[in-house]
Amino acid sequence: MNFKNILTEIEKTDPEVYERLSGRRQVLKSFSSKVAVAALPIALGSLFKKAYGKTAAAGDVVSILNFALQLEYFEYNFYHTANNTGGLIPTNDKPGFRNIETHELAHINFLSDVVTTLGGTPYTPPNYVSTAIIPQYIPSGTYDFTGHGAHPNVFNDYPTFLTLAQVFEDTGVHAYQGQMPNLIGSTVIGQAFQIATTEGRHAAHVRRIRREAPISAIEKPAPWITNNIPPLPTAAFQPYYTGEENTTQIGGVDISSLPDSYSTSGTVPVLSATAAFDEGKDMATIVSLIQPFLV
Amino acid sequence: MKILNTTGSEQVVEMDNGQGTSRRRFFQLAGGITGAGLLLAACRRTPPSTTYVGTGDTGLLNMLYIIEQVQAGFYTQAASTPYYGITDSESLCFIDCRDQAIAHREYMKTLLGKSAAKPIVLDLSLTTFADRTSTLTNAYIIADIAVGAYNGSARLLTDGQKLQAISKIATVQARRAAYMRDCLNYNSFADNTAVDSKGLDLATEPAQAMALIEQYIQTKFDISKLPSF
Repeated sequence: MNFKNILTEIEKTDPEVYERLSGRRQVLKSFSSKVAVAALPIALGSLFKKAYGKTAAAGDVVSILNFALQLEYFEYNFYHTANNTGGLIPTNDKPGFRNIETHELAHINFLSDVVTTLGGTPYTPPNYVSTAIIPQYIPSGTYDFTGHGAHPNVFNDYPTFLTLAQVFEDTGVHAYQGQMPNLIGSTVIGQAFQIATTEGRHAAHVRRIRREAPISAIEKPAPWITNNIPPLPTAAFQPYYTGEENTTQIGGVDISSLPDSYSTSGTVPVLSATAAFDEGKDMATIVSLIQPFLV
Repeated sequence: MKILNTTGSEQVVEMDNGQGTSRRRFFQLAGGITGAGLLLAACRRTPPSTTYVGTGDTGLLNMLYIIEQVQAGFYTQAASTPYYGITDSESLCFIDCRDQAIAHREYMKTLLGKSAAKPIVLDLSLTTFADRTSTLTNAYIIADIAVGAYNGSARLLTDGQKLQAISKIATVQARRAAYMRDCLNYNSFADNTAVDSKGLDLATEPAQAMALIEQYIQTKFDISKLPSF
């Protein structure tokens, strides 16, 4: 196998091959000196995977950020409505939900700016009117947070609101997680992490409210997602948590096989192995989960 | 107090919850009374001058591995010697945090393989584990450090697989940080000390994250080759 010949062959179809690989100078350098001949095919595969398979193109990044914008508008409208519905949120809990609403609006503004900077057109929801000042970014006839009647009391009954808030926040985390592989190599990967962890904080806050009495006598969700347990009723929310039961992580590592001297089994408890990682969901799945709440 | 943090056998000394003995005092007593094994060994051990954390992706993963060792040690202690007035709900969360931190630590160690930095010597003396405020304060500070370190690493890691791996942990760190913050000071889960005006959570440059976490570690590190923004 001749490495230079391979590059020459690729150059015929992709003149930019050297440019794509140049960011991997270190890899290339160590490639010749350290990689054993037997490992060459694997090493080569990994090198080209990095150069081609895993670097996001600008157009792809724009479509991912617009997808994120769709979710941020959705969440922002949800909290904006709740925060402006008298008698729904108890006084003690109001500052937290106002803070969450502020973050979702900040995400809308931030992501829109980035999309514009990248030469794209920022997503706006159906019926969005750019000249509307008050209420800002609140289109009418776009969202139906009752889920077409499935949750009629979402803005009348605090526990119902909290249940949907938890589901939406966890789904937001899953959506960002699902897009991380597609953002590798892009300039926005760091900010995508920073938004995702903000959503993680929101999710934990809502889960903690639901965990503490007297809000929820039956359900006591942890701040993190244990197994794939959804809020009740299970039938309505199970799809939002499917996949969270996973214990096998990148590298083929079964987390529940790792040593933990505090566990009776001597290894990490399965429930902890699931809770220690937030899983991703792909774009199509997320869209199907949000769809019931769109007009 | 120093705890030698060895994989799979955290040294935890059971402490009588009902006594008002401070942790430092307790370990002075424990050191004198037990005369045994690893605790004393830890006390006798002189840490090596510096532990090299490595460069590039290895350096970043070692930083996260070190932070997870601190978290595993912290929650092992917090779960074993709960603070006065702890609720059942909080107690269960601390146990969860322990097992999750151990999972993260062992996972990082597995990803690093032979490149894993040597086990470190913790110094948890900043925390009075019998005291609710002290424990929750340090819990959220450490969790915030972790969030910042994971998010900072995201900008610098070159290996896509490892990036995905740490992404799935980063949001769980954020859940933990938010929970500990809320327990200490309700509604502070994502206040402006954690999330900025753009809605962006902490992202810390590796050298800075190491400086922050070092207050919980006796071991000194050589971080000269860590990637920077």
